[in-house]
Parts: sequence; structure tokens; C-alpha cells
Amino acid sequence: MQPALDHNARVHVTSVIDRRVVAPGVISLGFRAPELARAARGGHYVMAVPPTGEAAAVALGIYEADDNRISLLFFLTGKRTRELGALRPGDELSMFGPLGNGFDLTKPPKRATIVAGGVGIASVLLAAEELLRAGSRVELLYGARSSAYLVDAKRFARLGCDVAVSTDDGSAGHHGFVTQLLEQRKPPELLLACGPSPMLRAVAASAARMGVRAQLSLEETFACGVGGCWGCVVPLSAESAQAPSFPPGDRGGSDVVYARICKEGPVFWSDELRW
Amino acid sequence: MTAIAMPDLSVRLGKLELPYPTLMGSGCYGSGDEFASFADLRKIGAVVLKSVTREPRLGNPTPRLVHVAAGMLNAIGLQNPGIDWYLEHDVPKFAGRPCVLIGSVAGFSIDDYAYVCERLASRDEIAAIEVNISCPNVASEGETFACDPRLTEKVVRAVRSTTDKTLIVKLSPNVTDIAGIARAAEAAGADALAVVNTVRGMAIDVETWRPRLGNVTGGLSGPAIRPIAVLAVYEVARAVKIPIVGQGGIETVSDALEFLLAGASAIGIGTANFTDPRVPERIVAGLSDYLQRRGLSTIAELTGKANVGRLSAAQIEGDAG
Ligand SMILES: Cc1cc2nc3c(=O)[nH]c(=O)nc-3n(C[C@H](O)[C@H](O)[C@H](O)COP(=O)(O)OP(=O)(O)OC[C@H]3O[C@@H](n4cnc5c(N)ncnc54)[C@H](O)[C@@H]3O)c2cc1C
Ligand SMILES: Cc1cc2nc3c(=O)[nH]c(=O)nc-3n(C[C@H](O)[C@H](O)[C@H](O)COP(=O)(O)O)c2cc1C
Ligand code: FES
Repeated sequence: MQPALDHNARVHVTSVIDRRVVAPGVISLGFRAPELARAARGGHYVMAVPPTGEAAAVALGIYEADDNRISLLFFLTGKRTRELGALRPGDELSMFGPLGNGFDLTKPPKRATIVAGGVGIASVLLAAEELLRAGSRVELLYGARSSAYLVDAKRFARLGCDVAVSTDDGSAGHHGFVTQLLEQRKPPELLLACGPSPMLRAVAASAARMGVRAQLSLEETFACGVGGCWGCVVPLSAESAQAPSFPPGDRGGSDVVYARICKEGPVFWSDELRW
Repeated sequence: MTAIAMPDLSVRLGKLELPYPTLMGSGCYGSGDEFASFADLRKIGAVVLKSVTREPRLGNPTPRLVHVAAGMLNAIGLQNPGIDWYLEHDVPKFAGRPCVLIGSVAGFSIDDYAYVCERLASRDEIAAIEVNISCPNVASEGETFACDPRLTEKVVRAVRSTTDKTLIVKLSPNVTDIAGIARAAEAAGADALAVVNTVRGMAIDVETWRPRLGNVTGGLSGPAIRPIAVLAVYEVARAVKIPIVGQGGIETVSDALEFLLAGASAIGIGTANFTDPRVPERIVAGLSDYLQRRGLSTIAELTGKANVGRLSAAQIEGDAG
């Protein structure tokens, strides 16, 4: 996978320059952060420190990045994201990153398919932009609860992606799961996905049926976000190239090893996961 | 106020001298380099490395972490590659780190502890050894060593006989008489005590009715446990003469001061690094300011100075001077 750029990793104190409510309970915050913005690649994330400093940092994908500015896009799920969501332009925030191994886009194909579920859209915009710049034809399959949650679908279309959407309630596009759209497609040369775990599992199953490997950006509760606590693990095949370089230990004859999502991931190859 | 020289923040734990009184808690700081891009490792006292065992351990199933009010629950389950792999592959990478590294040993039998400690302590990269007799996340008898003074004494004696390096014994708060356990560790030759490890806890998802940790129970850390830890330090300090590394929910300078006043000589910082990796550096700067402001020249002048009797007005004014 695309390695994180550790030399650019710092604790950045930035201020909010814009705030949008992009869907019910979904906020986008923009920050002036030139160093972060220049280093950010598709699939990288930051650890954002809630302003009261009373709660642990939150892992959030880097949604947009240009020369100066990055933005984060998040659901108000609990205490920490509610604190972040209450920020207004001018407020300061610290964050560190970019972190993690992003999507591997070193061989841009003729055709790529990106599957995004819900707020998973936050981790795929940079990858889509990079692929389009490299001349790939990109199809975005985008699923959400209802049409109100299809954040920026038109924007992806304007960028040049072919966009197909699905909603759980049928209010836009296909009525059902986004992975049903994937099932109707020809096997893509490159398949990327980010979204809730059940969706990622379905993508992995489709990829296996199609005989392709998917790059999946996973999520798990993080504490340190940098590989220091071993709290965010996922079972991988012990033979996986991404398996941490040590013996799997007392695995009772099983063939798995736990890898850190924050350090060895968050992007993993679908066929190497044993979850 | 009279201007005085920069206060001396160094501390001594047995033979080990540290430039700063801040130790990064075991299991929270990896092997140090994970945080190197975000924190200045030259400004911390030491990193206590993640606990290592005789055999490799896969660790507990997921989820292993839950964020709760004022802290977090974890059930990592001592995932580690085992001492053989650790010595061959990990320890060589420790050479040249800009901070002191303290090894941490865990085990399931007295023999395990002694074996792992001896092998780890034989390496120059490792300055001292912390003995984790208090991990709450392993199903077997791991914790009982810190719950029974006789077992504590036996295990500490066994590790003591394997090394001359500084031995820090890490105690559990999940006991009724922590002072008794502390005395047993001291009697068996501990050079210092780490007080405390995590407090046992549990969280349940009210939608699914399932425990939120894969391991069902876990260890609570962060500000939620601070008063429990301060009391433990206070009780242990009155029971032993050896230095104490106080830890449990330290996030700010005043949190650190509480532990020192309760009887700690140094402090451990774990969970706070997850909120902001600059916390250790900030605490060191803040301690220095505090000492200067109070006209004190060393950290040791604070240790155990909590005044639990009634203060006279004159005493209070004198202190504030
Ligand atoms: C690498 C990575 C990148 C991420 N990027 C993003 C991102 O770009 N945008 C974003 O919104 N989130 C993202 N997340 C998820 C985000 O970090 C978590 O949702 C975060 O834990 C929320 O913190 P909180 O304190 O607000 O909620 P918590 O207190 O942690 O959770 C509150 C409650 O909400 C539930 N919950 C948590 N997350 C979700 C969810 N996603 N959907 C429904 N229920 C949930 C929990 O089970 C809990 O019961 C990412 C996570 C990782 C690991
Ligand atoms: C994720 C995590 C992993 C831990 N792993 C270990 C460990 O391997 N060995 C150990 O002795 N203590 C371990 N601890 C306990 C910490 O070192 C520390 O004693 C405890 O968390 C209390 O301090 P804090 O509130 O500052 O984190 C761990 C704590 C956390 C949060
Ligand atoms: S969150 Fe600490 S290792 Fe991943």
C-alpha cells in the first residue's frame, strides 16, 4: 500500500476556515493546513484532538486536500465528534498526521471502481482525483441511508466519475445495497472501498467471486492511532505481506495474525483479511 | 520572589537515573519510535516498553478498546512476539533511541518471570526492568501475583536474583490491601514500585446487549481512575521507603503534582498520549515552572508533601511564599 509520509507527520494546530452541514448530523470542517494538505494521499487519515482535550483523539479520513487546505467529513456519533462538530470558523484545533497507508494507486488502470458507503465517502475523494488525473476511467458506486446522505455525489460526477447511487430506503438510485450494484458490474481492474464493515465484507465476497483483489479501508476503535497500543487490530492471514513482522504466537493452529489497522492499514487487501 | 536556578527535574529509581520524572506507561507507547514524529523523545524520562512474555501471544479478540466517560477500557491481552523474537528482532532497533528504555516483563509462572527478566536484562539497550504482575486482561493466574503478598514476594525474589538492574514492580489497584503487597515487593528486593496498573471494568452495548469488549472485561485507564490511583500512591508511600512511579489518568501538570504530593517520586503517562502526544513535554515544562514559582530546586522536595493534617494559616502562607 501507499506508505504514510512520516517525515511530514507533526502535531498541527490549525484553525477552522469553513464549516458545512452536508447532511443531517454530518459535518464538514475545512482547515488551513498547508503541510498536511501537500502530504495527504487517498486513504490517509488524521487524529483530531477534541477541543476540550478531555477525550481521546478521533481518527478521521482526509476528505479534501489542495495546496493549503484540508477538510474532514464526519458523522456526529458520540462525545468526541460532537465536540468537533461544535467548532466554528476561527476556532483552533490540533491534529496529527497524515497517518496510515493509503490506497495503492501506483499502477493506475484503464478502469477503476470505487465503492463508498455512508461517511466512507470521506476516504475516497483524493483517490478518485488521483486516478482521474492519471487518466483512469473511474466509476463511483455510492450507497447511503437515503438521498439526503448522498454527500457530494454530484461533485464526483462533475469531476468526471461515472456515479451510480443506491439508498436503503429507495429515495435515490437503486433501492438496496450498494454492493448489489457492484455485483452487476464486470470485474474491475482496480477495486477500492471504504464504508461500514458489513459493506466491506460484501465487497470482499464479490471481489473473490469476480476473481479480483479489492483494497479495503477498514475501521476499528483507535486509541493511539500510530501503532503504539495494539488496540485496533484485525486478523490477517499469517502469510499476508502486511502482517506485522513477527510470529503469530499461540494461535492454536489457526493461520491468523493480528495486524494494527492504524499502522499496517487502514487499507488492506481483501484476500488477506481473515475477519 | 527571588530568582533561582533552573530546577532539577532528574529522578533516581534504584541505580537508574532519569533526566525527567516522566515515564511513558507500558503498552501505551509501543517501542517509542511510533511516537517519534509527534513527541520529542529527548524531553521524556523513559519509555516503558510493552510487556513481553516467554511465548508469543496473539492477544485478545476484537474489539479491544472502548472509549468511556473520562477514560477508556482496553483488553489487548498482552499481544507480543515472545522473548526470543523480541531479543533478536526488536531489541537491536532500540540502540540509539534518544531516551531511556525500560523493559517490561509479564508471565504466568514464577519461572516465566525469572527467565524472561534474565534474558531481557542481559541486553545493554534495556536500562531497567518493570515487572508487570498486574495485567488484568489475561484469563489465567496473571493477576494473582499482584493480589497475594506471598506470591508477590516469591515472584519479585525470583526476578531479583536474575539481575542487578533497577527493578520496578508494577502493582494492581484491584486489591483490598495494596500497602501489604507493596511491602512484600520491597522486602523481596524491588528498587521501585509502579502504582498503578488499570482498574478492572466492563461496558455493555444497550442495543445489542453484548459486552463492548471482545474479552468481555478490560482495564480502565485515564482520568476516570485518577483518584483511585492517587489514594493507592498515598497508601503505598506510607508503607515503603523505595521510590514510587505514580500513574493513572495523569493529563496535566496539576495531575502530576497530585501524585508527587501523595508520595510519588516520578510519574507515568499512558492514556493521555492518545489525546495529545505533547502532554509529556507540557508536564515537564509545567513542573519546572511550578518548582521555580515555589522557590523549590528539586522534584524530591514535593514527594509525599501532601498535608493531610490541618494547616495553620501561617503554614499556608509559608508554602505559598
Ligand atoms: C482510519 C479511520 C478513519 C475514519 N474516518 C472517518 C471519517 O472520515 N468520518 C467519520 O465520520 N468517521 C470516521 N471514522 C470513524 C470515527 O473515528 C468514529 O466514528 C469515532 O469513534 C467517533 O467518535 P465519537 O467519540 O464521536 O463516538 P464514540 O463515542 O466512539 O461512539 C459513540 C457511539 O456511536 C457508535 N458509533 C461509532 N461510530 C459509528 C459510526 N460510524 N456509525 C454508527 N455508529 C457509530 C459507537 O458504537 C458508540 O455506541 C474513521 C475511523 C478510522 C479508524
Ligand atoms: C492500551 C493500553 C495497554 C496497556 N498495556 C500494558 C502492558 O502491556 N503492560 C503494563 O504493565 N501496563 C499496560 N497498561 C497500563 C498502563 O501502563 C498504565 O499503568 C495505565 O493505563 C494507567 O495509566 P494512564 O491512566 O496514564 O493510562 C496498558 C494501558 C493501556 C491503556
Ligand atoms: S490505535 Fe494504537 S495501535 Fe492502532
